[in-house]
Amino acid sequence: MPSLFFYFFAAVMILGALTVVLARNPLYNVLGLVVAIFSLSSLFILLEAFFVGIILLLVYAGAVLIFFLFVVMCLNLNADTFTTAKQTRFRILGAIAGLMFFAELLLALKSFLLAHSMEPSTVRGTIETIGRILFTEYLLPFELTSLLLLIAIFGIVSLAQGAFNTGKEDEATL
Amino acid sequence: MIGLGNYLILSGVLFSIGIWGVVTSRNVLKVLLSMELLLAASNLCFVVFSKFNGDYAGQLIVFFVILVAAAEVAVGLAIIVLMYKRLNTIQADELKEMKW
Repeated sequence: MPSLFFYFFAAVMILGALTVVLARNPLYNVLGLVVAIFSLSSLFILLEAFFVGIILLLVYAGAVLIFFLFVVMCLNLNADTFTTAKQTRFRILGAIAGLMFFAELLLALKSFLLAHSMEPSTVRGTIETIGRILFTEYLLPFELTSLLLLIAIFGIVSLAQGAFNTGKEDEATL
Repeated sequence: MIGLGNYLILSGVLFSIGIWGVVTSRNVLKVLLSMELLLAASNLCFVVFSKFNGDYAGQLIVFFVILVAAAEVAVGLAIIVLMYKRLNTIQADELKEMKW
């Protein structure tokens, strides 16, 4: 039964990822990523990483991707903004680059799996276990993350200030 | 039974699709979305190795990656909105000068 779930969510995730790359309409790109993140979170829960799976769903699908959607709608982007002449040729070249990268990954994986044979452990990433480690062993990185978020807020505010200045006033500030 | 190999191949497929997106798309928004795919693939890798190695550190790193990615996306989207306001385009190949 778990293997059935794995194949189902893997297929959905790859379809979502292909939508991100191939769809012309930016709205569908964002929604494809929502689907991919949702199945990724399902795979996390299949791997018994419950806390991280739920955080991924809440923060990514809930906040980050809705932010993307907001920007797409705010800028009023539509499909024909992005059609350029030489696009198909670049698509094929990019696909070749991606396939070469995938072949390299497969080679590395093959040698790795021949050298190590691993069995799933009894690790269960519940809120209790993750929280216990997060607030003891990994307390410093956790606190530093808040500093990072603060810096991000400063950056966005300074960028937004620039957006409201126009014309000559703008030249003066830069 | 689903082993380590299946998950790692899935992660590799996802990463390759992300690379394809980053290399081919000219729309800056789409490049950012494809980068999220790359992050998702590496997150899957971390969680899988956390499960198969019996170590919680992998899941904690995923937690931090999600936080950093949220900050990155916020700043990146602010830059995209600013770019659209000034240049009226978000096509990467129309950005010929770094000066605004």
